[in-house]
Amino acid sequence: MMRVFSLLLVVAWCAAMAIAGLLSESPDAYAQEAAATGPVAAAPAAHSPASKLTQSDIARMLPATDMGAGDGMGRENPHLAAMRDSPATPFDGASIPVNPLAPNADAVGAKTCVACHAQENVQASHSLHVASFRAGAAHTGPQAACESCHGPGSVHAKDPTAPGSIIAFTHDAKTSPQVQAGVCLSCHAGGARQHWVGSIHQNRGLSCTDCHNPMAKLSPEGVLAKASINEVCSTCHQDIRAKFNRRSHMPLPEGQMACTDCHNPHGSITKPLLKTDTVNETCYGCHAEKRGPFLFEHAPVRANCLNCHDVHGSNQQTLLVAPIPMLCQQCHTMTRHPNDLQTSASLGIGPHPDERLMGRGCLSCHTNIHGSNNPSGPKFHK
Amino acid sequence: MPVLRGNPTAPKALVLGLLAGLFGMQGAAASDTSGTMRVGDMQYGNGLDPRGWTPMLYPADPDGMSYLHAGMLRTPTGALYPYPPLVEPAKPLGQSDWTYAGLLDFGYLHVGGDRNAEYFRQYDGWKNGAVLGLFALDFNNRKTGGYVDFRGSRVSGNDQFYRLRAGKYGSYRLEGFYRDMPHTVSTSAYPIWNGVGSTNLTLPASLVPGASTPVQVAAVSAAQPRRDIGLTRTRAGLSYEGTLYRNWIGSAGITNEKRTGTRLWGGSMFFNYPFPDNGGVLETVRPIDFRTTDVNLSLRNVGKLWHFLATYNGSFFRNHKDHLDFASPFALWNVVGTPQVADIKNGQFSLEPDNDYHNIRLDLSRELQGNGQFTIAGAWGTMRQNAALLPPTSCTGVGGIFIAPPVDYTFQCANWNTTAALSQRNANARIDTGLIDARATFRPTPTFSWHAGLRWYREDNKTRYLAYNPLTGQYGYISENGSQGSIVPGESGIFDPTNPLYWSSNVTVRNVPFGYTDSILELGSDWQIGRKTSLGVTYTYDHNQPKYRERTRVDDQRIKFDWVSRDVIGATVRLSWEYAKRDGDRYHYDPYEQFFSESLTGFVDPAVGLAAHTVADMRKYDLSDRTESKARAIITYPWGESTTLSATFYGNRDNYDTLIGRQDTRTTGATLQWDWQPTPATTLNAYLGIEGSRMGIANVADNEALVGANIDQTNPNLGGPLYPYANRWWEYDREGNRNAGLSFSHDFGRMRADLSYNYTGSTGHVGYTYDTIGALAYRDPAGVAAAGAGFPDNKYRTNTLDLGLSFRVNRNVGVRLYGRYQTGAFSDWHYAGFEQTLSYDHRIYTDKGGQLHYDVSMLGLMLNLKL
Repeated sequence: MMRVFSLLLVVAWCAAMAIAGLLSESPDAYAQEAAATGPVAAAPAAHSPASKLTQSDIARMLPATDMGAGDGMGRENPHLAAMRDSPATPFDGASIPVNPLAPNADAVGAKTCVACHAQENVQASHSLHVASFRAGAAHTGPQAACESCHGPGSVHAKDPTAPGSIIAFTHDAKTSPQVQAGVCLSCHAGGARQHWVGSIHQNRGLSCTDCHNPMAKLSPEGVLAKASINEVCSTCHQDIRAKFNRRSHMPLPEGQMACTDCHNPHGSITKPLLKTDTVNETCYGCHAEKRGPFLFEHAPVRANCLNCHDVHGSNQQTLLVAPIPMLCQQCHTMTRHPNDLQTSASLGIGPHPDERLMGRGCLSCHTNIHGSNNPSGPKFHK
Repeated sequence: MPVLRGNPTAPKALVLGLLAGLFGMQGAAASDTSGTMRVGDMQYGNGLDPRGWTPMLYPADPDGMSYLHAGMLRTPTGALYPYPPLVEPAKPLGQSDWTYAGLLDFGYLHVGGDRNAEYFRQYDGWKNGAVLGLFALDFNNRKTGGYVDFRGSRVSGNDQFYRLRAGKYGSYRLEGFYRDMPHTVSTSAYPIWNGVGSTNLTLPASLVPGASTPVQVAAVSAAQPRRDIGLTRTRAGLSYEGTLYRNWIGSAGITNEKRTGTRLWGGSMFFNYPFPDNGGVLETVRPIDFRTTDVNLSLRNVGKLWHFLATYNGSFFRNHKDHLDFASPFALWNVVGTPQVADIKNGQFSLEPDNDYHNIRLDLSRELQGNGQFTIAGAWGTMRQNAALLPPTSCTGVGGIFIAPPVDYTFQCANWNTTAALSQRNANARIDTGLIDARATFRPTPTFSWHAGLRWYREDNKTRYLAYNPLTGQYGYISENGSQGSIVPGESGIFDPTNPLYWSSNVTVRNVPFGYTDSILELGSDWQIGRKTSLGVTYTYDHNQPKYRERTRVDDQRIKFDWVSRDVIGATVRLSWEYAKRDGDRYHYDPYEQFFSESLTGFVDPAVGLAAHTVADMRKYDLSDRTESKARAIITYPWGESTTLSATFYGNRDNYDTLIGRQDTRTTGATLQWDWQPTPATTLNAYLGIEGSRMGIANVADNEALVGANIDQTNPNLGGPLYPYANRWWEYDREGNRNAGLSFSHDFGRMRADLSYNYTGSTGHVGYTYDTIGALAYRDPAGVAAAGAGFPDNKYRTNTLDLGLSFRVNRNVGVRLYGRYQTGAFSDWHYAGFEQTLSYDHRIYTDKGGQLHYDVSMLGLMLNLKL
C-alpha cells in the first residue's frame, strides 16, 4: 500500500508540475533555450585561420553586406517580407537564430560569408541541405543560407577569431550542443524528432552534427556525417556494430538493414530509442507472424522477445542468448525430462544421443515455441 | 526539409491544447520525412555494397573543406569528418532549370571455392553472372527544389532493390520501391520427405509411414541430395509525405511483403531417449508463404509551442500455408507390452495464423516556461486473429493403448479429428494494448535541468479457450497427435471426470491469457559543470504487474549516473554507471492450477497426489530478485590534425537471488579504433574489439522414481525427496569474442586502391558441475564417463580480405576490379556427429549445420559509366 501511495504521490506531483508549466506562457522557448546557455568560459575559435592574416586584414577584405547592415534580430525578419510575395519553396521562411554568445550581431548575408568561406561554399553547394535552401532562396535572394543556421554574422565578420561570435557546430565550437540542436530543431522539430528532448542522445550531450553534416555531401542521402547510417552509428556504438559479425545476426553487415530500421536516434518514448511502443512491437514490424495472439502463449515470448534473443548478434542459433537446452532450463525445472543435466554423453557422438540436446534440442518437439494456435498445442508440440 | 512559420497559439490547458492541435494550430510546418519513425526499409544495399551507394561517392576534394584551415573539422564529439568529395556538377537537362546526374555500375561476378557455405551466403544471393552494382539517376530542379531520384542494384534474382523517389524539397515526397532480400538458413540440409515447401511432407516410396526401421530411414537420409533451406523477402511499397494544408503535414504509406521459402522445423512423435526403438523425433521442413501488408498514416503540425503528431499503423499478416502435415517413418510401441492397437503415423502443426494489428497514437508536446517541454503520448492498439482451428488430431482409426478390460486407454480418432470436437471453431484471440507516456523537462537555469516522466502500458489479453470436446464430454486434447497416449498409458492428454482412467489426469484445459501492466516513473536532473562537462542522475521506478505469472508485482528501481566531458586531455568522455535492484511480492511457484484439469469439478486427486509443478525454489529470471550494475565509457580522442582514437569500455553484472534458475550474467568488453586521414587521398582505419561474457544457471533433477508412484512427489521443496540436494547441478556458458579490422584506401590519381581485412573469432564453452550423478541425464558408467565437465568448445571464425582497384579511364568511364577472399570455421556441438549420419535410432535430422571449414573467393570486374 505504501508503494502505491508513494507512487500516486509522485504522479500527482509530476502532474501538478506539468500543469503549472502548461498554464504558463512561453513566448519563445527556443530563444530561451539558446539564451539559457549563458556566458561561458573562453575557448579556442572554431575556425582559426591557418593563414597569417590579421583580423583587420580579414575585415578589410569583406564585401559590403548584400542585405542591409543593421537589420538585426529583434526587428522584422527580412526573409519573411520576401516570402509573402513569393511562391518559392518553404525554405524561404527559414529564420535566423539568435546567437546567445553574440546577441547583438546582425545578419550580413551569404555573400559576405562566402568572401572568406569560399571552399565551404563550394562543398555546401553540393549538399542537399544547402542546395534545397538555395532552391528556396531562388526567389528572394541569396541571404537565407549561411545565417539561417550559423546565426547573424556581423560580429564574426568583424572579429572572425572571436570565440562564439558565430554559431558553430564542430568540436572546438563554443556554441553549446543545446544551442546547436536548437538551431536545427527550429526547422526540424516535431515528427520523427518530437521526442528529442529528454532522449538519451540529448542527455549524453550529442549534437545533430555528431551524426549529420549539412555542409558537404558526405553521403548521397541523409546529410550524414559519414557515408552511411551504420557507419555513423558505429562511430560511438562500436561494440554493437561488432556484435553483428557474430554467427547469427540480422542482415546489417550485408547492407539490407540499418540501425534506424529499429531505432530512432532522434528520440522516442522508449529508453533504447525504439520506433514503437515496446520491444515486441518493433520486432513484429518484420516478424509479423510472431504477433499472434496465439491460442496458447509462451509467457516470456509474449512479455519480451529479448528474454530469449540478443537482437544485435549471437553465437547461438537464431540470435538466442544461450545455447539450447540451457536457455530453456533457466526456467523449466518440471519433473521428468526438462531438468536433467545434459552432458557430452548426450551428443550425437556420445554414448547416449539425446533429442533434448542434439540439433534443435528442445525445439525439435516444442517447435511452436513462439505460440501455438492448435487446440492440442499447450506445450507447443503442434 | 524544413520550414518554420510562426504565429503560435497559446492555449491555457491541456485539453484546449489538444483541441487546438487537432483543429486550429498554426505553428511551424517542417516537412522532414518521417522515415525514422517507421520500422524497416531505411537501408537499401547488399553484400557487394553494404552502403548501397558507394559508387556515388566521389573521390575526395584535394582542396578539402576550407581554405581557412588545413585538414578536416571534427564532430562536436571529436570524430573527424571525412574529406568532402570533389563533386562534379550535374548536367543541364535541355534549357530547363533541371539538371541530372547518372551512374551505371555493372559487371561480372565470379564466385569460387565453397560458395555454398552457409555463413558466406547467409543474407547474400551470390551467384556467378552479371551484376548491377548500381544504377543511379538523379534529376534536380535548382529553382523549385523538385527532384527525381532512382536507385537500383541487382546481385541476383533474390538479392536486388529498386527505389524511385520524387518530390519537392520542403513540400512533398513520393516513394516507391521493390526489393528482394535473401535469407539462407541452411546449405547442408538433407530432408527425407517429398513435398518440401508444401503443407504435406510425405515419405519416399522406400519408406512406410509408421513401419520403417531406423536402418531404412538412415539409408534414405544418406541418399538424399544436399539442398538449401531459406527464404526470400520480397517487399514493395508506396508512400507519400507532404504538406496537406498550411502547416499540416501528412504521410501515407503502404508496404507489401511476401516471404516465400522454407525453414527448418520440428516434428514430435513422442520421446525416443527413454524408449529405445520407440517414439519419433523428426527435424522437418516447414513452408514459408507469408504476406504482410502494412499501412502507415501520420498527420502532424509543428508550431513553436505545440507539436502535434497522430499516427496510425496497421499490419495485416496472412499465412497462405497455415499448417504442416508430416508422415513419420517410425513405428510406435506401447511401453506396457500389449498389442499395439493404435495406428499413429502422422504429425501435424498449426502454423502461424493470419493476424490483424491496429495502433493509433497521439503525441503532443508543448514548450513551457522555464525552458521546459511537456510531452504526452497516448496509444491504443489491438492484435487480433480469428483463424479457424484445426481439429485436436489428424489421426484416423484408433489411438491410445488397450491393456485389458476395463483398462482401455484407447480413443476413437473420429471423436477428435473433427472441429466438432472443439468448444469453439475459431481462435477469437485478441490482445489490446494501451499506452500513456508523459514527460516534462525543464531547464530553469543555464546549468541545471530536471525532468520527470511517467509511462503506463498495458497488454490486456482477451483470449479465452476451453479445451472441451462436446462429442465426448471430455476435456483436454490429444497430445502429439496421439503418439504420446499410444506409447504411455493414460497420457493421451484427456481428462474425463466420468472415467476412472482419466479423472485424475492433470492436463491443460484452458489457455493462459498472459498480459501485464507496466508503470514507470522517472525523475532526473542534469548539472552543467563548466562549459564542457555535465553530470546527470536519473532514478527510475518500474512497477510491473504481470498477469497469471509467478509474481503479481515486480519492482525494479534503478539509479543511473552520467558524466560527459568534452575536455579530458582534449578527449570527449562519456561515462555512465547504473545500479538496479529488482524485487517483488511473494513468488508463487505454481500459479497455473486454474488452467489445468485439477481445477475442474470431478477431478479426483490420485492416491499418490499430483507431482509438484516445479521446484518451489525456482525463480524465473524475468521475475526473480536481481541486482544489476552497468558501466560504460566511450572515449573519443582527437589526436593531432588527422587522427582520431576512440575506445569503448563496458561491463554488465547481473546477480539473481535464487537457488534454482539463472544465477548471474556478466559481460566485459572493450573496443579500440584508430582513424587516420592524413590527406584527402588517404585513409586508414584499424579496429580491435574484445568481449567476454558468462551466464550461469542452477537446476535440480527430480527423483523420477517418485513421479506417479509416491506421495513424496507432491513435495516441491528443494532438498525434499522429489528435488534432493544431491541432484543439483550448475551450468555456465562462457563466450569470448574477438574482432579486428583494418581498412586502407589511397587515391593514386587515375587509380584508387581499397583494401580491407576483417576478422571475427568467437569461442563458446558450456561447462557444468553437479553434486552427484543423480543430476545427470545418464547415470550408467558410460554416461558418467562421457559426461566430463563440459561440452566441446563451439567456435565461429571468419577472415575476410577485400581488395578493390578502381581505374579512371576518362572522365566518364571507370573500371573497378574487385576481389574478396574469405575463410571460415564453425563448430557447434549440437551438430556433433551429423557429418557422419543424421539418423539416430528413431530420430532423423535434416540439417548438418554450418560447414566446419570453408574458403571462398569472389572476383568481380565492374564497368562504371557516368551518364
